[in-house]
Amino acid sequence: MYTILLAAMEKTRHLLILYATETGNALDAAEQLGREAEKRGCPVHILSLDEFDPSSLPLEEFVIFVVSTTGQGDTPNPMKAFWTFLLQRSLSRQWLEKTRYAVFGLGDSGYQKYNFVAKKLDKRLADLGGTAIIERGLGDDQHPSGYEGALDPWMSSLWTVLYNEYPLFFPNGLDVSVSDVKMLHPPKVDITYLDSHEVYLQSSAEIDLKSLEREIVKSRSMLSGKKSSDKSKPNCFLKMVKNHPISRPGCEKDVRHFELEALSSTIKYEVGDVVEILPGQNPEAIDAFIKRCNLNPESYIIVKHKNKEDFVEDGVTNVPINLKRFIELTMDIASASPRRYFFEVMSFYASAEHEKERLEYFASSEGRDDLYQYNQKERRTVLEVLEDFPSVNMPFEWLVQLIPPLKTRAFSISSSLLVHPNQVHLTVSIVSWTTPFKRKRTGLCSNWLASLDPNQRVCIPAWFHKGSLPAPDPSLPIILIGPGTGCAPFRGFVEERAWIDSKPAPTSPILFFFGCRNEQNDFLYKEFWSLHSQQGKVLSEEKGGGFYVAFSRDQPQKVYVQHKMREQSGKVWDLLSKGAAVYVAGSSNNMPADVLAAFEEIVADEGGVSREAAVRWLRMLEKGGKYHVEAWA
Amino acid sequence: MFKKEAVEEINPLIITQAASLSSLPVDSSSIDLVMFISKSSDISGDKLFEELSRVLKPGGEIFIQQTSDAKSSLERKLLVLGFSDIQVVQMAELQSFGIKGKKPTWKIGSSFSLKKPVKSLPKVQIDDDMDLIDEDSLLSEEDLKKPQLPPVGDCEVGSTRKACKNCTCGRAEEEEKVQKLGVTTDLLENPKSACGSCGLGDAFRCGTCPYKGLPPFKLGQKVTLSENFLAADI
Repeated sequence: MYTILLAAMEKTRHLLILYATETGNALDAAEQLGREAEKRGCPVHILSLDEFDPSSLPLEEFVIFVVSTTGQGDTPNPMKAFWTFLLQRSLSRQWLEKTRYAVFGLGDSGYQKYNFVAKKLDKRLADLGGTAIIERGLGDDQHPSGYEGALDPWMSSLWTVLYNEYPLFFPNGLDVSVSDVKMLHPPKVDITYLDSHEVYLQSSAEIDLKSLEREIVKSRSMLSGKKSSDKSKPNCFLKMVKNHPISRPGCEKDVRHFELEALSSTIKYEVGDVVEILPGQNPEAIDAFIKRCNLNPESYIIVKHKNKEDFVEDGVTNVPINLKRFIELTMDIASASPRRYFFEVMSFYASAEHEKERLEYFASSEGRDDLYQYNQKERRTVLEVLEDFPSVNMPFEWLVQLIPPLKTRAFSISSSLLVHPNQVHLTVSIVSWTTPFKRKRTGLCSNWLASLDPNQRVCIPAWFHKGSLPAPDPSLPIILIGPGTGCAPFRGFVEERAWIDSKPAPTSPILFFFGCRNEQNDFLYKEFWSLHSQQGKVLSEEKGGGFYVAFSRDQPQKVYVQHKMREQSGKVWDLLSKGAAVYVAGSSNNMPADVLAAFEEIVADEGGVSREAAVRWLRMLEKGGKYHVEAWA
Repeated sequence: MFKKEAVEEINPLIITQAASLSSLPVDSSSIDLVMFISKSSDISGDKLFEELSRVLKPGGEIFIQQTSDAKSSLERKLLVLGFSDIQVVQMAELQSFGIKGKKPTWKIGSSFSLKKPVKSLPKVQIDDDMDLIDEDSLLSEEDLKKPQLPPVGDCEVGSTRKACKNCTCGRAEEEEKVQKLGVTTDLLENPKSACGSCGLGDAFRCGTCPYKGLPPFKLGQKVTLSENFLAADI
């Protein structure tokens, strides 16, 4: 009686765990932390740092950070915006005076910059007025048990300190009964099943865009447990109208040009923007999964999350959805790899002894390396794992909770709405590779798009948002560097500027450096660039711009975009002094760094200043919003 | 800046009939501005112009008003004398024009090193809100020291301990070799397994298993495979 009263009076205190993961380890650690907290009666909120608004950090009383350091000593991608916010000089030394925190880092002592991200974060939080509850924990890959070696003792200290100073977190005290340790907690979702005849069905069997939209919103809201928001609703549906290769068939690269047209509402985007696409899954894989898991594809379900106070029941997530549709739209069966906890839960549901043992081994800290070889390095899919352990019979509730959610994939838009109203063009490299065990793998979304036939009416759910490349004003001179598929957004820039040119005023010049391997194989959009480089056009030299190509493999020595840039250093400097903005796009790896180095040389040589001054000037250019990079993995 | 000075301490020296002078009674490099007004159609002699150049301070300006159409020769004269920023100015009166020029800031005859002048780079607008602290300043001396690797246990290949990233004992090479072990056609026709785990699939195979990557099989049955298995290593 007493405890219930207490709960009614006190707002339930949640422990906030914020994580930044690159390969999933920090997420695993964060979730482990969460489970240990919940075993002790302490509710948690686990969020990725890119889902958390940094300006609300001072409002949080208790925050645990779980952050990885990548190989170069860098912050993981999901943490970049948060970190930039925290580094602002304008934040005061009392900004976090009400916040108590603890930091756990994941790193590798084989690297010089060991756990730099966690170390810097710890110091910065303290400098901003935050109070550390305990000393930072540093997980080390080189330790025999990996990061657990540090996490286990660190967690024990954490619970002890928290309980001593803030006992309300643990209403039942800290003792965890022995049976709890080995027991599996109930899944976080509840599923209600209905038969098809109990459900009101749409009368038309045709693909109705409105009903498809509702299905997507419903399923994705049910999966996340969040209120159905505008985020889950696609901005529009597209259909494939053109699909053809722009690299030479037979050569090692397969790059396609896709033209997609809006099916429903009119679309809105600017050049340089990004479109996110929800891919369809292979119907055979879906069927195999349903069969393997003994599910009834005809039934209807409602998925509800327990313990989610902010989960408001609305008219969308209360309506049942067909089970097979739910799986197709939200559960990634045949592409993403499951995480460690999936293997742990599987071990509880394995009836064959050798399978149970193996799964327990994979889930342990000793088996982490072998799990990594089998699962992450091989990009094992959920379906493959379930088929490799045939005695496992996991309830659907667990599958819903643990199977990686089907993610959208982002692409740079390569068209301009002014030139192609109501269309979105994409330049996509079709992904395929061979694993260490010599199995062939293909990318889910790129291959799905490549398989779409313009004659079929397949609906593509799409979302638009800004990327890192803001659309340049037509009067701004621009220098573009975009080798390979990096040229995609610049095709949009060029065609739009060509269209606007002299309507009424002439536009400013464009200087574009493109690169590819062979002129004969992967010179993407060759005719397009040639057309716009002709006399008087936006890429022409008389207008003050130019188009230069580096063919890296057409001669014995490697020639890249940065070499072409140096050849044209006078032109580059001329435009930079006129206030040109720089845009760099393409695969990450070394290209953006090489391009920056080339700029530094050019500025130093042509501007007549020292290399250090050039480096500073370029950094100022970036701060001033005139140097943009969109680099993708 | 020049204009301001003129307002405060203008002290003009007026010389008439200047064309007939061969020298000016003025110290060198003492004059800020020379105004030369000429109504005659005579192009003034070179001597006078040299004098005008002599008395001007470095950076000082000359302004010439003429009523004759001797623009280009006058321009050329100023150029030859080393004046810079030469501009022709439209005057209100017709048939009269003005030329202005500036005496260069280095003295004639002085030495000047040939090093390229250090220019200032074009100004960049910065949004001050985005001024960030240097994140490397957050690290202490201790942090920057090379990290201590945890004590190494055994270095045997095959145990759970993996090779260090900067391995020097040769273990990384041994691991590499182990990965490359492949499967032969004989093994495919007639699968053998001493440990008994090979047929269970990748999840149960150890690191050195030749059947890695292949689907599960039962002993005694031929193993099915996809095309790229017997292909040479990429």
